[in-house]
Amino acid sequence: MGVDIGLEFEGDEDEVSTFQEEHERERHRAKISDGDRERRKRGNGRRKRASRAEEWEGESQARPERRERGRRKRTRSDQEAKGSDRDEEVQPKTKSGKSAKTRKHIKNEKTRKMEEEEGEGEERHAKRKKKHGSAKKEEREEDGGKRTAKEKAQEVKRKKHKKVVETSSEPSEEDDNDEEDNEEREVRPESLSSEELEKLKEAVDERKKLIQTLRGKPWPMKKKCVTLRESQEFVEKYEGALGKGKGRKLYAYKVMMNKKWMKFQRDFENFKTACIPWEMKIKEIESHFGSSVASYFIFLRWMYGINMILFCLTFGLVMVPEALMGRPYGTIPRKTVPRPEATSAMDFAVLWDFGGYAQYSVLFYGYYNNQRAIGWLKFRMPLSYFLVGVGTVAYSYMVVIRTMARNANESGVGDDNSFNFNWKTFTSWDYLIGNPEMADNKFASITTSFKEAILEEQESRKDDNIHLTRFLRVLANFLVLCCLAGSGYLIYFVVRRSQKFALDGLDNHTWWERNEVNMVMSLLGMFCPMLFDVISALENYHPRVALQWQLGRIFALFLGNLYTFIIALMDEINLKREEEQIIKFNITMWEASLYNGTVSVNSTAPAITIQPADVPRGPCWETMVGQEFVRLIISDTMTTYITLLIGDFLRAVLVRFLNYCWCWDLEAGFPSYSEFDVSGNVLGLIFNQGMIWMGAFYAPCLPALNVLRLHVSMYLQCWAVMCCNVPQERVFKASGSNNFYMAMLLVILFLSTLPAIYTIVTIPPSFDCGPFSGKKRMFDVIQETLESDFPAWFGKVFSYASNPGLVLPFILLMVLAIYYLQSTSKSYKEANVELKKKLQTQNEENKKKKKLAALKAQMDLEEARKASSQTAKQQKNSNASQQDQESDEEEDHSSSQRLHHGKNGRHAPPPVREQEGQLPATRAPVPRSYQHEHHGAPGYLPGFPRQSEPRMHRVPSLQRH
Amino acid sequence: MGSRASTLLREEEIEEIKKETGFSHSQITRLYSRFTSLDKGENGTLSREDFQRIPELAINPLGDRIINAFFPEAEDQVNFRGFMRTLAHFRPIEDNDKSKNVAVSEPLNSRTNKLLFAFRLYDLDRDDKISRDELLQVLRMMVGVNISDEQLGSIADRTIQEADTNGDNSISFSEFIKVLEKVDVEQKMSIRFLH
Repeated sequence: MGVDIGLEFEGDEDEVSTFQEEHERERHRAKISDGDRERRKRGNGRRKRASRAEEWEGESQARPERRERGRRKRTRSDQEAKGSDRDEEVQPKTKSGKSAKTRKHIKNEKTRKMEEEEGEGEERHAKRKKKHGSAKKEEREEDGGKRTAKEKAQEVKRKKHKKVVETSSEPSEEDDNDEEDNEEREVRPESLSSEELEKLKEAVDERKKLIQTLRGKPWPMKKKCVTLRESQEFVEKYEGALGKGKGRKLYAYKVMMNKKWMKFQRDFENFKTACIPWEMKIKEIESHFGSSVASYFIFLRWMYGINMILFCLTFGLVMVPEALMGRPYGTIPRKTVPRPEATSAMDFAVLWDFGGYAQYSVLFYGYYNNQRAIGWLKFRMPLSYFLVGVGTVAYSYMVVIRTMARNANESGVGDDNSFNFNWKTFTSWDYLIGNPEMADNKFASITTSFKEAILEEQESRKDDNIHLTRFLRVLANFLVLCCLAGSGYLIYFVVRRSQKFALDGLDNHTWWERNEVNMVMSLLGMFCPMLFDVISALENYHPRVALQWQLGRIFALFLGNLYTFIIALMDEINLKREEEQIIKFNITMWEASLYNGTVSVNSTAPAITIQPADVPRGPCWETMVGQEFVRLIISDTMTTYITLLIGDFLRAVLVRFLNYCWCWDLEAGFPSYSEFDVSGNVLGLIFNQGMIWMGAFYAPCLPALNVLRLHVSMYLQCWAVMCCNVPQERVFKASGSNNFYMAMLLVILFLSTLPAIYTIVTIPPSFDCGPFSGKKRMFDVIQETLESDFPAWFGKVFSYASNPGLVLPFILLMVLAIYYLQSTSKSYKEANVELKKKLQTQNEENKKKKKLAALKAQMDLEEARKASSQTAKQQKNSNASQQDQESDEEEDHSSSQRLHHGKNGRHAPPPVREQEGQLPATRAPVPRSYQHEHHGAPGYLPGFPRQSEPRMHRVPSLQRH
Repeated sequence: MGSRASTLLREEEIEEIKKETGFSHSQITRLYSRFTSLDKGENGTLSREDFQRIPELAINPLGDRIINAFFPEAEDQVNFRGFMRTLAHFRPIEDNDKSKNVAVSEPLNSRTNKLLFAFRLYDLDRDDKISRDELLQVLRMMVGVNISDEQLGSIADRTIQEADTNGDNSISFSEFIKVLEKVDVEQKMSIRFLH
């Protein structure tokens, strides 16, 4: 048979084709005879089959020659008959779905059958197809004569088995099909070794593969087309052929479902990643600008999530119910624009200022009615309003603290990075990247990560004059404190002055005097951060620490801003409340006069003619506060966007295009491009959020506005960063956790909830607007609900629980628990740090020891060699190594050129080429090699320059086994 | 007929490749078709230009080194045998591989051989050491011009310092193995060849 294979390759097509026919026939015959016998034996127990397989094997091994001789004599009609016969057999199989390739055992036999059929079909057709068949044939024969025989035997046995399956009609027999199959599989290794089995499996499977990979064959197109069509048909049959009988179907189904499930899981993972909003954008920014800039955007995204939830709360539980179920606009005075304002209520200027129709809408506190339950749902509007207000704050606290705790956990676990640089150097490239854009990003991110690593390294081994540094730091802090104190006093002074001006009446003063506070605030906000930046250069901190200091200082400055704002607001609230008192008095007078008037004029008709718009009403300080906050947010947003457009975009455009016609290099020189200001942006975000928390109670629309703002600024800033900013000079690695941002956010949250809670608790609500009108305090709504909506015992329990005698011990207990947990966590942390240190020192010691030992060994080797070696030999060696070096350099040159060749069309190459061109000149390999020689480095023995190579390879492999 | 014999894959050849590399028959034929489709010159061998047409390699900063790994020393062409021998490094490690081939010799896709392949990417002058200069060149390929020379130098120094245990200012193969001890090389340097 082996000879035949050789012939097949060298011989002409005819011979090949006949050979193939022969092969087919051989198979058919085997099958026929087999089938006959099988029919006879079907009644016998299945146990015998295994032993029979062996018997068959022996027989078939003896058979080939006989067959070969008889083969040609067989008539084709015989085959055709058989073929059609088998066609019928196969049809039912195609029904079952396309199923897993894992069931190769079962499939393979079928594949073989198909092949045969195809072969038969081909024989009836033109010779061209025979050629294709011959290709398959080549495959089939690959295993050599002996194995083919075994294969056949195997196949024969399998067919037999299948016949049983096909013909058996009883379900019970079908059921234990699988069982039997397994049994057979277990038994088989006795007759055929697993390796052969494997090969057999492959051989069958490969036939299909060959058909699919025909593209690479040097055949005419027509033939390829035919082959392709055939292969497609074949695959269809093949796929459908699997699984027959209940158990098999079930199994196939299981396998299929399993695969589908795996695929689904994989897809779902991808989907989940795709669902993280802006993930790709942030990653891209991170790769270009480093993790510090990315940390801002991650923070922004987190903020967006929080605001989304706050928005859902206020929108779903307050605004929508009031709009849908509350009384419509214009029914009562608080829901109507008053007559004097009605003419200008729709003007854009008024609306932009959130007056007019905007003021008398669900957006603000004053619009809500104090009706206890509204709509057919009996929705408790005032209660809901109050609880949402409290819930907003409570949820924010919870989220911030939980995030902080989680981050703290994460940062506690450090990884072993003793080979940080090695890993970066050897494993950072992703070899599957095939897209130039991705490659650019990867380049950028590798560069950035290297820069970050360098910086960390520099910072960690910086040991300057410690006294000088300390002095400078103290000095810097002193200066900053002076600045803060000065600006604090300035703010205080200006606010006091403005209060005096306000008492005098604003009309008597100039524009500057009227807007003094705002101007001073914004000027301070503009220049102090710059000053701090300059001062922080003195301190010589690690940039990450420096950023935190900077943040803290600007934060302190901005607190002044907040303070003035709150003071101004409080003043205004007091003014409004005085006004309210007067109006309240006036209204009673007005009502009395109205009543008296109507009584005097017409005693029968009551005064219904009064429009709600005409009713006099109080100033409603809550709505005023809400409006203030909304205006503040709007103006803040506008300022941010405009500075972004002017400061970043316009500057970048000017620098970019004026650079062509300017005296000096604008890009490298003075204006240059702006860097992304992480500290300023983070603080802006945090203070903005503080405003939201403060104002959300009085203006339910604030979270919605903020969501909008954050959404827009996400896109705008992402775009601005990528298009107009340059990466910072010192890219540093931000800690992934950003707990510092969180801590500041927590402080702001606390500071902003204080005034809100203060106003809610101490100031009585307006008498004629808002959901709490008519009550003494806003939180009375809770009591009211307890009294009217809950059973009496509940109120009793509540009053007991709120007894100070119970609350105080409880608080004490909590404090104690906090203290205990705090101290345990601290001790754990210390232990952790200790252990880490120990590990590190141990590592270093080991390294040192090894180094010493290696050095010693080298010295010994060196001495021994020196004693033995001859001067003449040394001379020779040095010559040889020099030649080596030269050849190496040549290789380098050629390789670098090749690199450029491969990278054509991208912008990277020219500079690289420049660098590469310089490199061989600057580097000095020759002296290095001499050094090696002198020190006698291991693996480069001067006596045998090339000998070291195999040794070095073999050492690890020996270790391994 | 002669041309056909040279382009078609011979059975004996397949057998030998199978023995040498451990690829299955179908994998070999599949890779052969890939080989022929890459072979624009249609002379049964691949040149460096053929490799550089693969986008992943063209983009890869170390692509040139990888391509180099396919070529035996001082040769410009690689035939299918050599092609397969190199690819065999990336065959995933299977369980039965170990049991089968322990007696014979170490398979090409063992961890050590995988690492050796990676090591050779960086070892430009094939002296079994990654010297500082070699590291610098490779780093230059990887980061482009965005990092200054002295910074790159400090990276290279640091890298060597981390890995170097015998004080010769270069990274030997054993040190390289030590460095990547915790990296899952078996998995990372494996390609899922289709069956």
